[in-house]
Amino acid sequence: MHFLADKENHLLIIFLLLIFLGGWYAETAKAGDDKEISASLMQKLTDGFSADLRMLTYGIVQEPANSTQNPNNNFLQLPHYTANLELRPDLRLKMDPLELSAKPRAMLEFNIWQEGSRQGDTQWKSDVYVNEWLARLKARDNLFVSYGRENLQWGPSFLFSPSNPFFQDNGRSNPFLELPGMDFARLVWIPHSSWTTSFIVNTDEGRNMLYGPGPFKIIYALKVDYTGRENYASIILSQKDYKNSLGFFGGWTVSDAVLLYGEGTVTQGSRALYPQRDNTPLGASMQQIHQDDSAIQSILLVGSSYTLEASGTISLEYVYNGPGYNADEAGIYYTVRGRGAAALNMSGLAGSLGQMTLSQTANTGLRFLRNNYVMLQYVQNNIKNKIDIFTRWTQNLDDGSCQASAYVTYSLGNHLELFSLGVINGGSKDTEFGSFLNYQAMIGLKYTL
Amino acid sequence: MNFQFSKQFLMMFALIIFSCLSFYPAALYAVDAKEILRKADEARGNAAGIQWEIVIDSIENGHDQHRTLKVAARSFNSLAEFIAPANVKGQKLLMLDRNMWFAKPGLSKAVPISPRQKLIGGAANGDIASTNYAGDYNVVKTSDSSVNGKACYLFDLKAIDNRATYDRIKYWISKERMVGLKAEFYTVSGKMFKTATFEYKNSVTIDDRPREFISKMIITSAIIKDDVTTMYYQKAIVKKIPDSVFNLNLLTK
Repeated sequence: MHFLADKENHLLIIFLLLIFLGGWYAETAKAGDDKEISASLMQKLTDGFSADLRMLTYGIVQEPANSTQNPNNNFLQLPHYTANLELRPDLRLKMDPLELSAKPRAMLEFNIWQEGSRQGDTQWKSDVYVNEWLARLKARDNLFVSYGRENLQWGPSFLFSPSNPFFQDNGRSNPFLELPGMDFARLVWIPHSSWTTSFIVNTDEGRNMLYGPGPFKIIYALKVDYTGRENYASIILSQKDYKNSLGFFGGWTVSDAVLLYGEGTVTQGSRALYPQRDNTPLGASMQQIHQDDSAIQSILLVGSSYTLEASGTISLEYVYNGPGYNADEAGIYYTVRGRGAAALNMSGLAGSLGQMTLSQTANTGLRFLRNNYVMLQYVQNNIKNKIDIFTRWTQNLDDGSCQASAYVTYSLGNHLELFSLGVINGGSKDTEFGSFLNYQAMIGLKYTL
Repeated sequence: MNFQFSKQFLMMFALIIFSCLSFYPAALYAVDAKEILRKADEARGNAAGIQWEIVIDSIENGHDQHRTLKVAARSFNSLAEFIAPANVKGQKLLMLDRNMWFAKPGLSKAVPISPRQKLIGGAANGDIASTNYAGDYNVVKTSDSSVNGKACYLFDLKAIDNRATYDRIKYWISKERMVGLKAEFYTVSGKMFKTATFEYKNSVTIDDRPREFISKMIITSAIIKDDVTTMYYQKAIVKKIPDSVFNLNLLTK
């Protein structure tokens, strides 16, 4: 495993060096006198290399919710204050038919705890890693083969993308934090201007944190996309651990101002954890009880956007989350979570059982816990050529909890941007949005070179 | 009786002949009109495909804004990548007919946007793509006119369907140079909302012949006269743009 990790790091270093050398050569060869290298190659390198650098510094203040999921912040041990500095260079080298890109990252983080067993603690953390990289070969004008670490996203919806079997988070709720990449091999074939077929395999979890129980499993997916005059549709057939899923999405430009869209997935059974009463010491436990079910589970999202004459866009989405817990299951879930929380501070086996139970309840494998959700969003960009605003309300229709979030960016010239984000969660401690954080506020600066 | 029938028959025959003769020049003229429009389109990028850089300077409500875009366009499809200033570099706008997506660096997911969303200032998303007035609009009426003393054809154009950027356009084409010099853009309700003038200081080779090519478009709001958006077209290359350029799956982030 270590060997594999080392090997992977070496490959990445070689890959990065190739891009850097390409870029360095493109810059220096202009002044040099090397007649061996053809002028056309130099021109290709010069034209093909590009780099961007973004530097972000931000601070986060958040208040952990004192819930049964995280009693007195002793389980999740979330810091109250976080200060962060991130360097995000993006490197690209395009030399037809080959395209290379890499997104190496460096970050420095400082945390202060104010709640729970780590109260008063401080910690510095630093990390250097490659979040995404890609090598893509154009085999023919309509055939592309690629391998690399990517955060592969698709679909029209804002709240989340149920048609995507690889990633649960689409990054739309906090655009200032990058989503981690996963390792993919992809083959994209474009037989017609309206049709595209992709074959996708995830070969490693990469930097992506897995949702749900169990180790990483390879997913094979076949994606077929159609784009019409004012509509588009895709289906995604995927297989994980010999279980098949059918994802789908589509959209329709109804008029200049109105978009209608939908997205969903249909699977046999569910790999998520479900609460079940049993004879264990807590009286119930989290189990993969629907893993081998033949019953079809579906997630369906429908949404619409309306762009106002004054340029703001309102979006409304409804989600039916079939695999989510019904009222009875939710009752048992909160009971077992409460008992896990009570056992957490006990010594010995009981404490370990509490720890394990809360790990499972925090990461059930479900993107949303319950069945019905509504999201209302308003976005307006380029106000007075400087300001972008985003506001979103997400309502859990089953337990009444909600989340309000907003962010604003303010341009301070061509390179500097001030940004701020706020999230407030509403609902009692035994509700979905009331379980982790009461609020979170973020303020930062982004410098783009 | 027979005489009456013959008279009616003759009158009908004369009417048909007269109608045909009346329509004949109009039909010929319509063909010519489309040809003139096609020539004017050619000078504004309508070919098998075009790649160019567009510098946009916009003044809106007293606020000015500058953007540089690299655009690849073919027919109703276009991909625009913002290359300056630094804080918008890497943003991408993909238009596939009436379907549009916007992608930003740092965000993994491209989001669908509606055609109503403006590009910048007075420029519509459709303004950065190549112009295909001959294909997108019907000629309602033509007349003679002039712009700055230069003799022009004045075309009254109506959008064939909702794929076109504008519902109705009045378009002045130079008789001598066969290039569009001025345009007025109208809403569905018939209200003029912006005007544009065009300059052609670039040159491209089309069918092995040099051709005047658009270098500047100045868009002025008809409602707020001080709102002006100027688009400078640079580094134009007429070339075939493959489908893969307009493919969302291959949009490099």
